[in-house]
Amino acid sequence: MAVSPALLLFMDRNLLARKHNARFDRQRDLGWKLFGKVPLRENAQKDSKRIQKEHEDKAGSPSRPPSPKQNVRKNLDFEPLSTTALILEDRPANLPAKPAEEAQKHRQQYEEMVVQAKKRELKEAQRRKKQLEERCRVEESIGNAVLTWNNEILPNWDTMWCSRKVRDLWWQGIPPSVRGKVWSLAIGNELNITHELFDICLARAKERWRSLSTGGSEVESEDAGFSAADREASLELIKLDISRTFPNLCIFQQGGPYHDMLHSILGAYTCYRPDVGYVQGMSFIAAVLILNLDTADAFIAFSNLLNKPCQMAFFRVDHSLMLTYFAAFEVFFEENLPKLFAHFKKNNLTPDIYLIDWIFTLYSRSLPLDLACRVWDVFCRDGEEFLFRTALGILKLFEDILARMDFIHSAQFLTRLPEDLPAEEVFAAIAAIQMQSRNKKWAQVLAALQKDSREMEKGSPSLRH
Amino acid sequence: MEAIWLYQFRLIVIGDSTVGKSCLIRRFTEGRFAPVSDPTVGVDFFSRLVEIEPGKRIKLQIWDTAGQERFRSITRAYYRNSVGGLLLFDITNRRSFQNVHEWLEETKVHVQPYQIVFVLVGHKCDLDTQRQVTRHEAEKLAAAYGMKYIETSARDAINVEKAFTDLTRDIYELVKRGEITIQEGWEGVKSGFVPNVVHSSEEVVKSERRCLC
Repeated sequence: MAVSPALLLFMDRNLLARKHNARFDRQRDLGWKLFGKVPLRENAQKDSKRIQKEHEDKAGSPSRPPSPKQNVRKNLDFEPLSTTALILEDRPANLPAKPAEEAQKHRQQYEEMVVQAKKRELKEAQRRKKQLEERCRVEESIGNAVLTWNNEILPNWDTMWCSRKVRDLWWQGIPPSVRGKVWSLAIGNELNITHELFDICLARAKERWRSLSTGGSEVESEDAGFSAADREASLELIKLDISRTFPNLCIFQQGGPYHDMLHSILGAYTCYRPDVGYVQGMSFIAAVLILNLDTADAFIAFSNLLNKPCQMAFFRVDHSLMLTYFAAFEVFFEENLPKLFAHFKKNNLTPDIYLIDWIFTLYSRSLPLDLACRVWDVFCRDGEEFLFRTALGILKLFEDILARMDFIHSAQFLTRLPEDLPAEEVFAAIAAIQMQSRNKKWAQVLAALQKDSREMEKGSPSLRH
Repeated sequence: MEAIWLYQFRLIVIGDSTVGKSCLIRRFTEGRFAPVSDPTVGVDFFSRLVEIEPGKRIKLQIWDTAGQERFRSITRAYYRNSVGGLLLFDITNRRSFQNVHEWLEETKVHVQPYQIVFVLVGHKCDLDTQRQVTRHEAEKLAAAYGMKYIETSARDAINVEKAFTDLTRDIYELVKRGEITIQEGWEGVKSGFVPNVVHSSEEVVKSERRCLC
């Protein structure tokens, strides 16, 4: 099936006069490009689309860039132009000349076509102009947003950050140039980590790497309980994982511009929190922070972010607390998407299957990076609740597809989400999720479940291993 | 349309971090080798049909687990519902071989009351010059635990197919002999569509059509 249009063109070409080859060659090219999805063109469009979507001004709905389909249509509309030669051409000398009436008719037809074509060209020019204006408007709105963030919000952070206006602007995505600053402020520094502390931790990490490579194995007294072998394994694992962090970006790998930064942050963290150490998934969080902050600030944000209750529960792999989080998630899942919830239950598709990766890496591995950053934006604003709300948003967006899938297909789908997730649709789906269950908010539901599980543990300690 | 299969087996792939679990599964299910892949956080899922005898297909549901020790409290919850497992170590990494005991002890505890048929896999056998574990000692260890031993390479596609199909065949034999049975509430083995039934229903459709003519 897929080859038939190209084949048709090929056949056409053989059937028709040779002098029109040029035209068909052009069309055939277009046909091929359409099949191949014209990578260059799509990229160019994606960029503007992405910017447009990311920073869309609330005031107006932007016109979408033309789909490849529209391009085909446009080309067909212009088709008559290329046949004018056929109409205007006088008959060959060996044939009788056209009657005057016919020649007149042809001239008239030709003129009509020219008028039509001019109209179309004018329309096309107007469309392009509009598109350009739209792009300018979007760029301006990003610029404006940057100005608003820099001049109004950031200097008055404490009073403004929770205002309605800022919240709305925040939801639409923080402009990349101020993103790191806003994240830092929103995450805060409860742990009071200074740049000096980072330097100290980093120096100790470097010492360990050195002693590791020279084969020394002095165990420091304060780390008693964490065997040298365990620590060594963890330092070794960091090395291996760095090269596996966003491998497609090619910036964190050995020799890449951000390799040392990522290494430093993860190494310093294992010295700062030997009780937590390095856990797989952390490298992705550190990497996203590095893309938006300089090393020491990224370390501060990293340590504070991991210190949040939800992240601590997961990175210390506190299994019973993780199960409590999953149970709270299921309360809101059932409330928001009862049909899909029942379907998952029937198929034994438990939330750990997909939530573990999403929560551990804060979606940075599973969503396109720009979309993940937008999730981070609101996560920094709303806290852990937003991570679970995002999960429900994703489930809602694909509710119909998932409802038709069996266990393995759903599990595969959710652990490998489509690569071209449209940010606006995802955020619209998230916005439609109510984080309220029988008048209880996320924190209340979670607290109630935590209390239950604690009581259960007390009642029958044998239930835990 | 879903292909017809006799049984569905759930297999779990375990072993230390970076021994190449995901790469081995990718080679088996997708037929290609990715030199760099993300670390697995939690679990990843794959599936493939295997024809063990002409016309007899088994659907494999493969659970790829995170290798880091920290994740074991999560991944061990998945042992229970698996019928088979590939326990991997890296032949160029002695420690990953030494940890095989630990992996086995742990599965033994957490698989109760069911059992898992394991095969011991010495992976990355294309890197023979960097070998730190001899074939002999690996075979000895495998025999001690009643497992088969096989050496594989995802990069050079050595024994990948064999590792999975041999395990599948062994499980199939156990199922046929009734030593492993399908149980309500256990995901390890599920029965699928029996080809014979489908044939007869096709015949029904055909004869109906004939009647209409």
